[in-house]
Amino acid sequence: MSVARGEVGTAGVEEDYAPPPTSRMAIAVLALIGVFDAAYLSMYKLGIIGGLTCRVGSCEQVQNSPQSALLGIPVSVLGLGAYVALLALALVGVQPRFVRDRRIAQAIAAIAGVGVLFSAYLTYVEARVIYMWCQYCVISAILITLIFLLSLPGLRRARAAAS
Amino acid sequence: MPRPAPAPRRSSLTPFYVILGLVLLAGIGLLATKLKPATKEGANQGVAVTLTPDQLQRVGGISLGRVDAPITIYEFADFQCPHCAEFAAFIEPLIRQNLVETGKARYVFYEFPLGFKWSFLSARAGRCANAQGKFWEMHGMLFGRQRQWSFDPDATAQFVEYARTIPGLDAGKFEQCVRSDQFQKEVSESGQLGQSLGVQGTPTLFVNGRKVEPLPKTYSEFEAQVRQIAPGAFAGAPAAPAAAPAVGDTPGAVTGQSTQQ
Repeated sequence: MSVARGEVGTAGVEEDYAPPPTSRMAIAVLALIGVFDAAYLSMYKLGIIGGLTCRVGSCEQVQNSPQSALLGIPVSVLGLGAYVALLALALVGVQPRFVRDRRIAQAIAAIAGVGVLFSAYLTYVEARVIYMWCQYCVISAILITLIFLLSLPGLRRARAAAS
Repeated sequence: MPRPAPAPRRSSLTPFYVILGLVLLAGIGLLATKLKPATKEGANQGVAVTLTPDQLQRVGGISLGRVDAPITIYEFADFQCPHCAEFAAFIEPLIRQNLVETGKARYVFYEFPLGFKWSFLSARAGRCANAQGKFWEMHGMLFGRQRQWSFDPDATAQFVEYARTIPGLDAGKFEQCVRSDQFQKEVSESGQLGQSLGVQGTPTLFVNGRKVEPLPKTYSEFEAQVRQIAPGAFAGAPAAPAAAPAVGDTPGAVTGQSTQQ
């Protein structure tokens, strides 16, 4: 017997089948691209690689600016952590038993939302404080914005399921 | 009798995993092509050296021409110094053509890094090319394209691009060398030799051990100075024309063996 829609158990798992939402699959793909983007910058920042290939902007100067670290942690490393978390959540979230899991939808939206706000701050810093651009930061800002927008349907579904 | 529940529809995740796998492979591939070895700290900075007069005598420059030539010309230069680039473009090719290739002179290049952003790194880049017998080709590139790399935040990448255009130069080995601290000691010693000889700016020239002052503005001026210092080397040879022919702004690659002096 199937559980009625909206009757999410204490584990937050609905037992009836729901097809994996395309939006969540797209989030996984975008998060994976974000992982590579942030990993490249992190490897530079941590001294694993010697230089950045930068066709647009001044990537190395941006990466060496005072605003490229938060509380001593490179911003790119924070970004890498966020994308890895989003990728993991999206991969779990496409599994049939977690498709309607409210907590996954909320976690994705929350991480992506914080990411959008932080990216907006970094874009402002690039445009108005250091007057330099880094193509990888711009790519990341676009990715996190898309992920946030794609997370909204999942959030709506979770709210509908809860009500 | 309850009706049996319909078999649940199962939408396959396979296409999603295939796309994710392709993105994963593409990402790994792209990242692999962008990986550059870390540049060592000593790549762009000298090391303190204290050489005895005897050791200074043995400091090696990069030499062109006959070892037994009657004239020995030393040039102390910095690849990032604009005056050196002018000298390399307008006078040095004529020195090679008229003095080195005719067997009258041996030309020895010594690095004297002045302290521009990439002075030391470019000096080492020259040595790295020399390790593969391509010093003079790289010398031409570095001086001829000085404006291109001088303000580049990643001059090494530019040097590697130049290396790719030089036939017979293994760009991979060259990059490995430039990003390491190889030849840090040699370039530092070359700088110390210059200091011990009273070099204060670049380019500074010595002919048979005598400092050439003032720095010549044309080849004919230089040849006149050389004739004064070593008149025997020009026995029977006519003097250079007063106006030396102009050459292009990019010093061409010069064929000839580069050897450590």
